[in-house]
Amino acid sequence: MTKPKVASDWMCGCAGCHMSLLDMDERLVAVCQLADLRATPITDLKEPDESGVDVGVLEGGINNTSNEEVAHRMRKRCKTLVALGDCAVFGGVPAMRNFFTVEEAMRRAYVEAESNDASGQIPNDPELCVQGTVRAVHEVVPVDIFVPGCPPDADVIFYVLSELAQGRKPVLEGDKLHWH
Amino acid sequence: MVHLKIDDKTIEVPEGTTVLNAAKMAGIAIPTLCDHPNLAPYGGCRLCVVEVEGARTLQPACTLPVFNNMVVRTATEKVRGARKFVLTLIFSERNHFCPYCQVSGGDCELQNAAYGEGMTHWPLQPNWQSYAVDASHPYFILDNNRCILCRRCVRACAEMVGNNTLGFEERGARSFLVADYGVPMGESTCISCGTCVQICPTGALIDRQSAYHGRETQVDRVDSICTGCSVGCNLEILTRDNNLVRIEGKWEAALNGGLLCEIGRFQPIEDTTERLSTPLVRKNGALKAATWDEALKAIADHSAGLAALASTHLSAEALYAFKQIFDGGSSLEEGAFTALGAAFAEEIGKSFESNLSALNSADCFLVLGENLVKDHQVAGFFVKRALVKNTGLVVVDGAENALTELADVVLKPGKGSDVDVLNGLLAALVKLGLSKAGLDAEKVLTAAVEKTGISADTFLDAARLLGTASAPAILFNEAGLAKAGKVGFKALSDLAQAIATPAVIGLKGGANSVAASQYHLDKPISIEGHKAVFVALGDEKPSQRLIQRLEGVSFLAVQSAYASQLTAKADVVLPVANWMEQDGHYVNLEGKLQAARKAIVPAEDVRTNEEALKALAAAMGVSLNDDWKAALTRRVSAVAIEA
Repeated sequence: MTKPKVASDWMCGCAGCHMSLLDMDERLVAVCQLADLRATPITDLKEPDESGVDVGVLEGGINNTSNEEVAHRMRKRCKTLVALGDCAVFGGVPAMRNFFTVEEAMRRAYVEAESNDASGQIPNDPELCVQGTVRAVHEVVPVDIFVPGCPPDADVIFYVLSELAQGRKPVLEGDKLHWH
Repeated sequence: MVHLKIDDKTIEVPEGTTVLNAAKMAGIAIPTLCDHPNLAPYGGCRLCVVEVEGARTLQPACTLPVFNNMVVRTATEKVRGARKFVLTLIFSERNHFCPYCQVSGGDCELQNAAYGEGMTHWPLQPNWQSYAVDASHPYFILDNNRCILCRRCVRACAEMVGNNTLGFEERGARSFLVADYGVPMGESTCISCGTCVQICPTGALIDRQSAYHGRETQVDRVDSICTGCSVGCNLEILTRDNNLVRIEGKWEAALNGGLLCEIGRFQPIEDTTERLSTPLVRKNGALKAATWDEALKAIADHSAGLAALASTHLSAEALYAFKQIFDGGSSLEEGAFTALGAAFAEEIGKSFESNLSALNSADCFLVLGENLVKDHQVAGFFVKRALVKNTGLVVVDGAENALTELADVVLKPGKGSDVDVLNGLLAALVKLGLSKAGLDAEKVLTAAVEKTGISADTFLDAARLLGTASAPAILFNEAGLAKAGKVGFKALSDLAQAIATPAVIGLKGGANSVAASQYHLDKPISIEGHKAVFVALGDEKPSQRLIQRLEGVSFLAVQSAYASQLTAKADVVLPVANWMEQDGHYVNLEGKLQAARKAIVPAEDVRTNEEALKALAAAMGVSLNDDWKAALTRRVSAVAIEA
């Protein structure tokens, strides 16, 4: 039997969920034995195989056209899509900017932030992606498995990946269900 | 009894039981949010909907009374789907993002409900409407963004506390919590009892001191009582790593049903008064750190002609030890709240005061010389919350009293005494034909009018309210009644008889006023002529009057938890634990013996009041017995003691 292919990517998040994935420690070896770990932000291959993967994992919410592209690409190329972490599931911390306008958020970050000097200005290169409302992944593409948590525990990620690698659908309930 | 079937379990419950409570009795859990055992059913959140055979739609279990042969199903697909839908809608209304909420991780009823339904995400995203956070209150923060509109806080403020500060502005999903007519919480009529904070199921009302200091799973809970006044509210002290996190009222307590006042809930954690951590002895004019042995010996050396005073904040154990060491000693109250009542009980040979639960069924209150809004706040809540039920309120107070604005009749004697008012009321009752007491109504009433400056009509209005009530209750403060001497209690007792009520509640002074009285620590004491004075203050803060009184005493020893003007003047200071740091018993104004328990370990050199007094007894060569409990009932008291 060929090992199921797993790929991951990140969008509007803090990389914490991928850190938590690494916190599986030696169990990463077990996951690699069960699955063929392909493109991830922490491996050399950066984009999921064009030929497709079995499981796609997305960390982070979607706050601009670049994120949208990443989400659509992953959705198109994977059979089962996992939204990993509170940002991917709900929008998370970045979604707090939805209580303000994009303009206000950008000004705060690039002009008003205490660490900026007077030359601070909002980036406006035409090649840059366009910012929008921060959305959960399921608002943009259909999601099959939701794994909330900020970040989800390494134990939970291990459970989810090992179940998917063995062709089962993970069920998050009881101890495994945390929104943080 | 009503027979019904819930999830195929056949049960029998009393008529009028709600489906929710019937299920609870049968061991079937139905999730709820707006419901609270201490509040009237509300039916606001719809999380508790169940299927009832024959009913067209799902029914809310919290408000639906059971009926015979009812068939209820609580866990069908339809019910579970509805619960998820309800939760989905609630989540979509506001900012319910968990990662940065203080109650996330076990303390949030909304999050727990979602976990209970196995929700891994929100099918509907929030609508991003935001509300300003109100941080104007000194003790807590109101964040409408976390509110689920269950209105528990509003109902608690009205139903339980009777303060009616909280309310809602706007309609539907746009509703938001406001204080009064939309003023900042800190400038509102809020009395800082904190019940709303304790009852809030989410992070919409969080208290400043405990926020982010420890979740439910990280704190230790100790059952104890408040020693702030003579009510003795039951509470829980929440600690983490020997630090006080928060104080909560005990919802299950028959006495206070979860209620506390500002003094019980917030003051202990806000208190920053300097603590004493080592014994002090005055050497060459200055207080210097000393050992316990040195300090105790210094007091023992002055034991001849020592006058002694003890706070009624001390436990019964400590007061009893104090009594045995200092036979002529007294409490700092010197019997102001208890001596005459005890004497009257002795005279009639029985206790005559009743307990606070009488207030819950009373339909008219007579409040005599007691500022319930200030001094016994929780008892005040019992009165205030009853007023919406058209309960009458007669207030007798010559001084300022916040209850007067809620009263039906106010008797404000400009002169004379409470006894004259009581006599006037009795005469008015007779005049109205509401009492058959044998007295010349016209003559007594005229005399009362003359003595008090209160008009005859006011007396008659008050008497009409009291005399026509079916369950009137009298709350009085002995300190006021005592001004006229022993006749006060006779007049009070006559009036109670005239309106045929057993509900006579005497509000006392400190937490252990009654115990001090039972140990005969209730006599006025003269400092003059005494070379040395010992004051067992415990955790009481000394009054200015006490400090002035002890001015010029040649040797002053103070046993105290806190540094104060008094300890600064003392020659010997013994550092002791405060109420949270020691075990001890208290007799509240109802005569109920209750235990305060140690929740926090004090500094190394700090002893409990009992230990300190026992060590002092040893240093003075006095032997003590531990009969404190038996000694509580060796004399008839104003209120029957359940020891």
